[in-house]
Amino acid sequence: MQCCICGHDDALPVAVGADFEYHSSPDQFLAMCCRSCGLVYLKLRPAMSELDRIYPPTYHAFDFTAEKFGLAHWVRRRLEARRLLQWCRDLGPSSRILDVGCGDGFHLKLLAEFGSPDWALEGVDASERAVNAARGQDLTVHLGTIQQLALAPDSYDLALLIATIEHVDDPPEVLRAVHRVLRPGGRALIVTDNTETPSFRMFAGRHWGGYHFPRHWNLFDPRNLRRLATDQGFLVDHLATIVTPVNWTYSVHNVLVDYQAPAWLINRFTLASPVSLGVFTLLDIVLQFFGRGGLLQAVLRKPARDGRDGHNA
Amino acid sequence: MPDRYRKPVAILGAGLAGVTAAAALRRRGVPVRLYEAGRQIAGLAASYKDAKGFSNDFGAHFITNRLAAAIGVGALCRDVAHYGEAVLLRGRSYGYPFGLMRSPRLALSGLWSKLSGSRATPASAADYFRLRYGSALADQIAIPLIEAWSGVKAEVLASSSVSEKLQNSTLRAVQLAVASRVTRRAVANGYSHEMPEQTNVWHVYPEGGVSVLVQRLAQGLEDVIHLESPVEGIVVEDGRVVAVQVAGRQEECSAAVSTAPCNVLPKLVRGWDGLNHLAKFRFRPMVFVNLRLRGRGLLPDTVLWTPEPEFPFFRMTETTISMPWLAPPGKSIVTVDFGCEKADPVWGMADDVLTEHCLDHMTPIIRDVRLRFLGAQILRTPIAYPVYLNEYEDTRRQFRDTTGVAGLYSIGRNGEFAHILMEDVYWRTLAKVRQVARELEAAA
Repeated sequence: MQCCICGHDDALPVAVGADFEYHSSPDQFLAMCCRSCGLVYLKLRPAMSELDRIYPPTYHAFDFTAEKFGLAHWVRRRLEARRLLQWCRDLGPSSRILDVGCGDGFHLKLLAEFGSPDWALEGVDASERAVNAARGQDLTVHLGTIQQLALAPDSYDLALLIATIEHVDDPPEVLRAVHRVLRPGGRALIVTDNTETPSFRMFAGRHWGGYHFPRHWNLFDPRNLRRLATDQGFLVDHLATIVTPVNWTYSVHNVLVDYQAPAWLINRFTLASPVSLGVFTLLDIVLQFFGRGGLLQAVLRKPARDGRDGHNA
Repeated sequence: MPDRYRKPVAILGAGLAGVTAAAALRRRGVPVRLYEAGRQIAGLAASYKDAKGFSNDFGAHFITNRLAAAIGVGALCRDVAHYGEAVLLRGRSYGYPFGLMRSPRLALSGLWSKLSGSRATPASAADYFRLRYGSALADQIAIPLIEAWSGVKAEVLASSSVSEKLQNSTLRAVQLAVASRVTRRAVANGYSHEMPEQTNVWHVYPEGGVSVLVQRLAQGLEDVIHLESPVEGIVVEDGRVVAVQVAGRQEECSAAVSTAPCNVLPKLVRGWDGLNHLAKFRFRPMVFVNLRLRGRGLLPDTVLWTPEPEFPFFRMTETTISMPWLAPPGKSIVTVDFGCEKADPVWGMADDVLTEHCLDHMTPIIRDVRLRFLGAQILRTPIAYPVYLNEYEDTRRQFRDTTGVAGLYSIGRNGEFAHILMEDVYWRTLAKVRQVARELEAAA
C-alpha cells in the first residue's frame, strides 16, 4: 500500500487498535507511518458497504445535541463559531460556502446563526444518516462525495473541511475536487488531527484518541498537510495548530476501555464530560503555546486566474 | 497494464511468504503466477480439530496481533494471556531468563560477564554465549541447548545464530515482561525482529490455525494460483531468469520468487551453476511428538528447556498453558522436540516406540505421565531450522542480500535461510517485493 501523499511504499506499523469508542467491529486495525513523509494511515480499511456499521446512529457527528452533551455542547458551539467566523470576515454578502463532510450540519448551523444572513450555505456528506439529520434542520445538503457530485466548478467562495480529510480514502482526490469547485481566489479551511503532538507520542502504540479506529484513515502533521495542499495547486495562507481536549480525553478513555476499567470511570472521559474536557483544554492551551496543539488548521487558497496571488475577496 | 509487465512473475510455493508476495505484487499491477506443489494452499499451516476435541497444529502456533491486523484477520483471533519459558536444571525449574538469577552461581557468572563487558567480536556461538552470559550459564544451559537444536558443536556455529535472534536489550526485555504480567496479554518478547516490539504487540491465535492468514491473503488470487503444479526448473539465460518449467512445459516469466529451501536452488536452476555453494547450507531435521495428556499445568511454564544430557529431547511445550482452547477442559497437549539427523535412530523409530522412548524420559519431569497419557501424534520435518555454520557464514551473508542471479529471489523462512517467525516472514517478504518491483522497473 502506498502513501497517498508522497507515493512512498515503505511504512512502519505504529499501532494496532480496535474501535474503543463505538465497538462497531470486532476487528483489529493497523496504523502505518510512512517512512518518507510521516503520514499515518490505516492499512486495511472497512469497505464502503460497511460504513453504515462503523458510523452507527449514535455517532457524535450525527447526533451532537444540546440534550445529550449539555455544557460541552454550549461551550463548543461558541468556541467553534468564533473560530469559524474568523475566516469568514472578508467574505462578501452573497458568498457561497460549502461544508464538505458536514455531518449533521453543526458548522452550517453556526454560520446560519452567527454569520451573515445573505450567505448561501450548502453541505456535502456521504452518509445518508448525516444528510437526513442536516436536512431535518432545513439545511441544503448534497448526498454523496464531493468527487462524485456534479457541483458547478469555480463557484464557491469558501469550502470547509472540518474533521473531514482524516475520514476520506483519498485526500488528494478530495482536495482536487474542492479545488475544482472553488472560484479562483476562493479558500478552503481544513481542520484535522495533529500527529505532531505529545498526546500522539504518548499513546501512539494503540490508544491515541486521534486514531478513532477504524474511522480515521489518514492523519497528518504540519509538513505532510502542507504538501497535500500544494500538490493539488493550493497556496497555503495559514497553517497552525489549535487547541482541542478531544484527543487527550479519548486517549485516556481508550486506555480505560482496553484495560476494562469500570464504566463510571470510563464515562468521565468522553465528549459528554465537561471536567475532563476542561482540564485537557487547559493542558492543550499550554501545548498550543509551543505550537503543539491537538488540531491542525490550514487555510488554503486557489490562485486567482490572472496568476496574481493578491488577496481576492 | 504496462507492457514491460506482460510476462508474469513466477512464485514458487503458496505458503505465507508466497501468497504475501503474490498479493503484494498484484496490488502493484505486476502479473503473477503462483505455483503450489500440494493440493491446497498453506498445506502445513492448516489445523484441524479431532473427534475428541483436540486441535492439531503443525507449523507456527503464534502470530502477533499486529500481523493479524495487517492481514485483516484480527476478528478471528483470540488473545493469548500468558506465554513463558523455564529451564530445567538438576530437577529444578527456573523461569527464563530472569528466574535463572535465583541460582547464585549462574547469577554471578552472568553479572561478571556483564561487568567485564568484553567488546571482542565473538568467533562462534559458543564464544558469544561465554562472553555475554558468562561460562556457567553458557556451559550449563545455552551451549547444550544450541547444540541439541543445531546438531553441531557450538564452536563451529556462527555467532549470528544467536545474535540475530537476541536483539532486545535486557531493559527492554524486562519492560516487555512486566507489561505482559500487568496487562495479562502475552506481549511478544523476542518474537519479532523486523518491526519494533512494544507493549501493545502480543501473541494471538487465529481460530482454525495459521492457515486462516494465508486463506485471507489469497482472496482475490484464485485465478493465478495453480495447485498440484510443482516447479521442476527455473530457466536462466545470460544470468537472468526467463522461464520456469512446470509439468514438462516451459512458462515464460519476468522473474522467479522461490519459497523452496534455498539449498535446493542449485538443483532447480538450469543454465547457471553459480549457485552450487548454496547446496552446502544445512537445515536441521526435527521430530515433534505431540502428546495428548490428562490434566493441565503439567509443566512449570508453556515451554520447558531441558539442556541436561540425560534428556534425548531439548524442549517441551505445553501449548495448552498459553492456548487452553486447543484441548478439551482438563486435558492438555504437550509437544516434545527432538533435534536429530536423518541417520539418527530417532528419525526412523516407529511411532509407538518413539512415544515410549519419549514417555520414559519424561517421567522425571511429569512423574505420572504414563497414567495421564491419552495418545500421541508424530511429525517429522527434514527442514525445521537453518544451521549457520561458520564455514559458510560469508556465503550466507551474501545470499541474504542477493541470490546472484538477476530476477531470482528467495523468500520465506526456508528460502531466506533465516530463523524467522510468521510476522517477520510477512514484513521481510513485503520488503523483498519492493526490491522485485524496483528491479523489474529498472530492467524494463
